[in-house]
Amino acid sequence: MNKRILALAAAAVILSAFVTAGPVTLDVKEHVLANGMKILMIPKPGVPRVVCHVYFKVGSINERPGITGSAHVHEHLMFKGTEVMGVTDYAKESAIDARIDELMAQVYREKYWKTDGDAARIAAWQKEVDDLVQAQKAFIVKDDLWTQYMKNGGTGLNASTSQETTGYYVTLPSNKIELQMLMESDRMMNARFREFYSEKDVIMEERRLSENRPGYLFGEQVQAAFYTASPYHWDVIGWMDDLKKMTKEDLVAFHNTYYVPNNAVAIYVGDFDPKAVTAMAEKYFGRIPKGPDLEPIRTGVPAQYSEKRFYGEGPAPTSLQMMFHIPPDGDPDTAALSVLAGTLGSGGGGFRGGMGGGGGTGRLYKNLVRDKQLAVSASASSRPQWYAGAFQFSATPRVDKGVKPEDLEKEIWAEVEKIKKEGLTEEEIQKAKNKGEAMFVRSLGSTAGLASRVGRAELKRGWRSILTDLDDLKKVTNDDIKRVAAKYFVKDNSLTAVYTRKSGR
Amino acid sequence: MKKTIFAILALAFICSGLGLAQAKHPSELTYPALKYEPPDPKAFRTVYAGGLRAYVQEDRDLPLFNIVAIVNCGDLYVPKGKTGLGTVLGDQLIKGGTASREGSVIEERIDFLGGSLNFMVGERTSMLSLSVLAKDLDEGLALFFDVLRNPAFREEPLKLAKARFIEQLRQANDQPSTVLNREYEKLLYGDNALTWQPTKASYEGIAAADLKAFHGKYFSPKNTILAVSGDFSKAAIKGKIDKLAAGWRAGTVVFPALPQAAPSPEPGVYFIQKAINQGYISLGHLGLEDTNPDYYAVQVMNFILGGGSFTSRITTKVRSDEGLSYNQGSRFSYRWGLPGTFSGYVQTKSSTVGYAVSLIEAEFDRIRKEPVTDAELETAVNYYLESFADGFQSAQATMQTFANLEMTGKPMDYYKTYRSKIQAVTKDRIREVAAKYIQPDKLAVMIVGDWEPCNKGGDKWPGPLDKLGKVHRIDLIDPMTGETVKTP
Repeated sequence: MNKRILALAAAAVILSAFVTAGPVTLDVKEHVLANGMKILMIPKPGVPRVVCHVYFKVGSINERPGITGSAHVHEHLMFKGTEVMGVTDYAKESAIDARIDELMAQVYREKYWKTDGDAARIAAWQKEVDDLVQAQKAFIVKDDLWTQYMKNGGTGLNASTSQETTGYYVTLPSNKIELQMLMESDRMMNARFREFYSEKDVIMEERRLSENRPGYLFGEQVQAAFYTASPYHWDVIGWMDDLKKMTKEDLVAFHNTYYVPNNAVAIYVGDFDPKAVTAMAEKYFGRIPKGPDLEPIRTGVPAQYSEKRFYGEGPAPTSLQMMFHIPPDGDPDTAALSVLAGTLGSGGGGFRGGMGGGGGTGRLYKNLVRDKQLAVSASASSRPQWYAGAFQFSATPRVDKGVKPEDLEKEIWAEVEKIKKEGLTEEEIQKAKNKGEAMFVRSLGSTAGLASRVGRAELKRGWRSILTDLDDLKKVTNDDIKRVAAKYFVKDNSLTAVYTRKSGR
Repeated sequence: MKKTIFAILALAFICSGLGLAQAKHPSELTYPALKYEPPDPKAFRTVYAGGLRAYVQEDRDLPLFNIVAIVNCGDLYVPKGKTGLGTVLGDQLIKGGTASREGSVIEERIDFLGGSLNFMVGERTSMLSLSVLAKDLDEGLALFFDVLRNPAFREEPLKLAKARFIEQLRQANDQPSTVLNREYEKLLYGDNALTWQPTKASYEGIAAADLKAFHGKYFSPKNTILAVSGDFSKAAIKGKIDKLAAGWRAGTVVFPALPQAAPSPEPGVYFIQKAINQGYISLGHLGLEDTNPDYYAVQVMNFILGGGSFTSRITTKVRSDEGLSYNQGSRFSYRWGLPGTFSGYVQTKSSTVGYAVSLIEAEFDRIRKEPVTDAELETAVNYYLESFADGFQSAQATMQTFANLEMTGKPMDYYKTYRSKIQAVTKDRIREVAAKYIQPDKLAVMIVGDWEPCNKGGDKWPGPLDKLGKVHRIDLIDPMTGETVKTP
């Protein structure tokens, strides 16, 4: 029986698109505002809740040295109010805030531009800032936007920044979508980055949390070594120096460039009437002026022409990583690489992934973990990303048996060479196709997950790319597998990272 | 039909805002009425062959089939000396194969179908879950019941699992948060099944016979509740499950006594050395059970104190005002049949550890002594009322929620009465439960961090840490042997 998510008559203003994958239909209603902002809707009648997400085509790859981490800092600052939110008397508050910025600009120049800055002057300015911050508090309504959402039953309330996108999330009762439209459009137009300096302290604590995760710092270096030129070089959190020294001006410029409606998608999934949501979007998001067109990222990944090797030691488990450059998503080779990663790596992932009961069906697991018993875990992943992809093998050796990361490296190369010659079995390829199809069907059952997938896909290649990717997966042949393995799994295209636990345990 | 359960739902969604003036501030918005009644568990309950209880919902939106078996069985029932048996069972129920199938054959088949089959062992409940496309319902269900009823715990996979779990022990002291959570529970609950840790020797001592005996004792139809949803008819699924459950041994299960919590630890600071640049901190004591009538007032109180993220006092003070941390707050944790814990928590750079703790303690004190504001109460209560429908968005999650209610012996009208109980919470009740369940004179402050800089403190709160109470230094345990190791 043909399943349909929804049978709602589309209004004339809404373009409706049904795309079929097997027995299931994905129905996304689209509406484009005059300012270029896209509104996507997936109605799911039932429980009266609506997932409301806004995605911007901006992330850490839009940064440059000196302001690394700013996409994420900016995301935090978006919760700090606007001209109407988070403030009782905007005129008085903004005068204080401007004075704080002036003083902090002096502090930064004295501290960061000079090698022999005057500590006494810095202390005096800082004291004045501290007093102003106290005075400013009288006009600040703390976390106003957050409170408004919470008291109206907002759940899943959050925001996140990745290398490529930034998202703002809330799930509301069906009768309160207007609240989201009002507050999200307001902060796109009128964000005011109050409490900038204390919020940077919060983010530095967030970075320290990562630093205290064993292996994080090594991983950050590996990534930087793998992507020498492209902006995937730095982590989303940014370098600590940049977090310390970035200014509010940097962030205002960032906001004005990227937080424009023609760089944004709003998506709604749940129990609502698309006509009403479209009208509301016209009213609230439609009032935002269009911004200039945005240039894509310029710097790609230059060919290595040599193997890279990276060694480190520290407090995390001994491990091996092998990374290979692959093309960005949308490339004709993406589907075959994804089949390869699934077949090699399935269920052999980290300690949780591989040990929880299911899984354990990947070639690397069967070969290295189960049969030869050389590894505790062994997995593979393919991440095409938007501008520069990576295929990665990860494995943890059986230290109790004296196995070294380099031993696993030899084993993985042997497996790779075999695939170059023989490819995969027909059953393995069919399995990857079945899994892709089942995962797609399952993804339609979620609300927040579906919003995230469709919203993000829309920003790069359009939401229909979810369907065309699935079609591409179904077309993969064993010749494709052999071809991509031979093309990308070569030493001159690789980085191998060997990490050793410093002490015996 | 799927929609029938929501027949009681009166959704009055009108074109909100259409043609109205554009609001500038949320206070100008008015919303159409929205009425929601939660589904009634009785409408979904059924009993299959052998007394196997189930909550079942037809959900025909997508061609999927989901089933979860919740078994009253978990780590707390593992005898002393066999610690780690729950972890090994979690891995081996599937990987160890059944009487007629090797584990790898089962995993391969499920994977080929694009399905998932997982098993997890918790404190007192274990869950076997299957998700497959509806076209594979029969095959998936047969594998599911085979694993549930007939695990074989074959020797080879067991040997491999034990070796891998022993290797994993090397990581037991790596993550500061793991160390903190483990040692904090040990301090509050004492030495019993809640806090025992596996060692190399305890893993090595687990034999297939132990797993078989443990499974045999607890896995029976009367000790299991199913949660089922998907593209099927209730009548058809009954026929299939009755057949697969027929003949399943239905003995009476005798459960071991639950651990008794130890007497409260001496109040003060408990410090664990780790060379990191922040202190990871929990401060608190034992809490209450969620069956306690005070539960609702405690939830609202804690939302205001430190559970309501940015709308809560601890986050406002410690994060937003002072910029001391990314992650902070307070929580009441709950366990089935045992008191949970109450804790404040924060991670902050070494020099502000003492300051952050002092700010959290001040908030503990304030909510015990001063009434909360009307606005705070309104935000907290409205949050629970307005977000209530969130938990019923997925048919499978709803069935699991109901199965868990019954398993843990909670009243089946729990959700029906939930909102009126939250609504009944007053400012006086909040002060009353704060005074009762937050006990500053009993606080254990546990810190995982670098001693010298943490003890030194900073400008706003110079050390030493014993200003917060008597300092006890705790040595870590070598996870391989369970012996104490002297930390530098």
